[in-house]
Amino acid sequence: MLSKNKTGWLLLSPTIIILVLVGLVPFFYVLYVGFFKWNPLAVDPSMQFEGFGFNYRRLIFDQVFLESIWRSIKFAFVTLFFELTLGFLLALSLLSSFPLKSFFRGVHTLPLVIAPIVVGSIFKLFTVQGLGPLPHILKDYFGYTLNYGLNADQAFWMIVIMDIWHWTPFVTLTLLAGLSALPQDPYESAKIDGANNFQIFFYITIPMMIPVLIVVIFIRLMDSLKIVDEIWMLTGGGPGYATRFTGIHIWKEVFEKRFYGLGSAMSILYLYITIVICWILYSVMASRGKDED
Amino acid sequence: MRKLLFAVIASTFSFSAMAGGHADWFKEAGAPYKGTVLQGVAENTPPGQFAGEVLAKEFEELTGIKVQLENTSWDQMYDKAIKDMEANSGIYDFVYIEQDIVYDYLNRDFLVNITEGLANNPDLQAPGVSLDDFTTFIDYFKDGSGDVFGVPMEAFIKVYLYRKDLFERADAKAAFRAQYGYGLSPATSFDQYRDNAEFFTGFCAEQGMECWGTTVQGHTGHPASTYEFLESIAPSFGLYNWGVNMDSYQSCVENGGQLNGGRAKAALNFWTQLLPFAPPEALQSTWSEVGSSFAAGRAAQGWVYGENAAWIATDAERSAVVGNVGVMLPPTAPGVMTQAASGNGYIGYYDGGAYGIPHSSKNKEATMLWLQFVALNEHQADWAIAGGRITHKGTYSDPKVIAVDEQADGYFTLMRDTGFLYAGAPPFPFHGAGRGAIDPFIYSALAGEMTPEEALDGACAALDQVMADLGYQN
Repeated sequence: MLSKNKTGWLLLSPTIIILVLVGLVPFFYVLYVGFFKWNPLAVDPSMQFEGFGFNYRRLIFDQVFLESIWRSIKFAFVTLFFELTLGFLLALSLLSSFPLKSFFRGVHTLPLVIAPIVVGSIFKLFTVQGLGPLPHILKDYFGYTLNYGLNADQAFWMIVIMDIWHWTPFVTLTLLAGLSALPQDPYESAKIDGANNFQIFFYITIPMMIPVLIVVIFIRLMDSLKIVDEIWMLTGGGPGYATRFTGIHIWKEVFEKRFYGLGSAMSILYLYITIVICWILYSVMASRGKDED
Repeated sequence: MRKLLFAVIASTFSFSAMAGGHADWFKEAGAPYKGTVLQGVAENTPPGQFAGEVLAKEFEELTGIKVQLENTSWDQMYDKAIKDMEANSGIYDFVYIEQDIVYDYLNRDFLVNITEGLANNPDLQAPGVSLDDFTTFIDYFKDGSGDVFGVPMEAFIKVYLYRKDLFERADAKAAFRAQYGYGLSPATSFDQYRDNAEFFTGFCAEQGMECWGTTVQGHTGHPASTYEFLESIAPSFGLYNWGVNMDSYQSCVENGGQLNGGRAKAALNFWTQLLPFAPPEALQSTWSEVGSSFAAGRAAQGWVYGENAAWIATDAERSAVVGNVGVMLPPTAPGVMTQAASGNGYIGYYDGGAYGIPHSSKNKEATMLWLQFVALNEHQADWAIAGGRITHKGTYSDPKVIAVDEQADGYFTLMRDTGFLYAGAPPFPFHGAGRGAIDPFIYSALAGEMTPEEALDGACAALDQVMADLGYQN
């Protein structure tokens, strides 16, 4: 038995070593750096310990950082709502057969294979004032001026639309896989009992899909909270602070301004907030699932 | 076209011609390093492309040392170079040092002392390379004792470009006089600049032309806009060194600085009020887009970086305004020109960069050969034509450069004769951190979310906080 365990640990050791090196070591290093005042551009460029709460106390009163968190959370939930709704509708429609279904499914999946930075470039080329076609079309046919370099709301919603375009196919495909795997018996029983489509959807499909939905929601929520690349490409975080989500804010503090200690504390605090949000959501959804059972 | 131009240059001049009479020396000196691969990272500018596509190949043919130059975006270039030097990983053998970041790099001891390195290795000293051949721009890459830490590979000034064809139109002249009561001409004052901008925006619309009155490098999410304000607009109003009091490292007026003072507010008001007369892409424009907009004929006048001025004026494949580009000094507030001439101020940014060797480089000797190859006089004229840059005094009098200068309305002559009125960035080791603190306020002023006065009050407070955090304020 012991020898069996030894073999198992031996086989697992490369994975464990890699996980420790690329996951735990950097995490604990960031945690450690977060307790120091450290900027290599400073008169004293060394790491200075000023108490465990030095950077964290400062962050509690850092309006720009707090606003960036609120902006990120708002973005994550808005995109989650639209991606789930659209993704579910598309997954349901892909369950039935219609002409050119395979072609549609292929085209619909294309955004998924595009790198985030490229998605940002595509949207930039498509929407940049003066040169991109979308502002022209909106102005010429609808009298609407699109200029997200000027309008903070437009900048926020442009990023929401970009994220929906990029990630809804992921939601669709995952939910489609879940829907395809659902047992048919409950549906047949419900139909025999006279349930309508609305009742079948809300009382049978949704409850049975909760495990899949939890996975999708978690993946999308965590991805949305750490979005950087697309925003970097499209708006750079502007205008003003309008699209400076927490990921962008941390990047600017760490790599532009070189506040390594403060930036590390931001990362840890943001990780904590992300975990709390996910935990609350998981608790709500898991208890909902149990109730349905 | 650029690639074609580079290919033609490369094929026209054999390596022996390119290296002048020093080909044999480079062959011999490079022999011990044959097969070495030098990695470099730089900003993707026309001069950088020439180095990567022409000079690197010539150098490899001569010495057998391969130069892989990664020309990338400005942000990526800094990101990669700084991470490499901080981690001491030795990925890059040479890095691009923009003039404004050199104080940061020297402060952090990232760079090899080239003067010392060559003095300690006389065998590596190339004949035909003399630091005395460089313009005074090389002084920005020296430390207090005069040792060189970077070999300049590009240098240019930010000039006022205007469309001669538009300014010379009889109907435009008549309409302008009728509207403003004086004659139409390129701007020498801010009021005139604004009038020109307003006029051409209306005139172009009436004529059905896709053009506007002025460029504005006003990206609301990229530092390019902060740079245009701090390095071009503000100095021309008499605000120098970002308005920072260089003794106390304070920037707010109440603490002895100038960043939220009268000149700064006048400058930001002037600049933001140009936006209605700028092409619609202005708020998403960095230096590259400003160059492209002007080249596409979408602006009648503007502040344009010199690295773009030459190709806009001469490269018909990329520019729709070849033959119609006028070049002048930008307008300045009363007294600014006098201050600049006496060395107590400057009218704009003397921009450029150098190649330097990080301490972490694993091929320092071979890289020194490459940097000296880059510095040879023989390359400079073709490099100037391809990239609009001049780093050597002798380049100005080269017949090829003189010919292009005529096409470019005397851009090179202007740079030679008035370069002393310009200056590099202030010597702040905290350059990136300071600028990063100011950025959001400039973005907000451009987006109209803050008045220029509010923005500058916020910017100076943020900058003062950064300088205090970094320990520069006593």
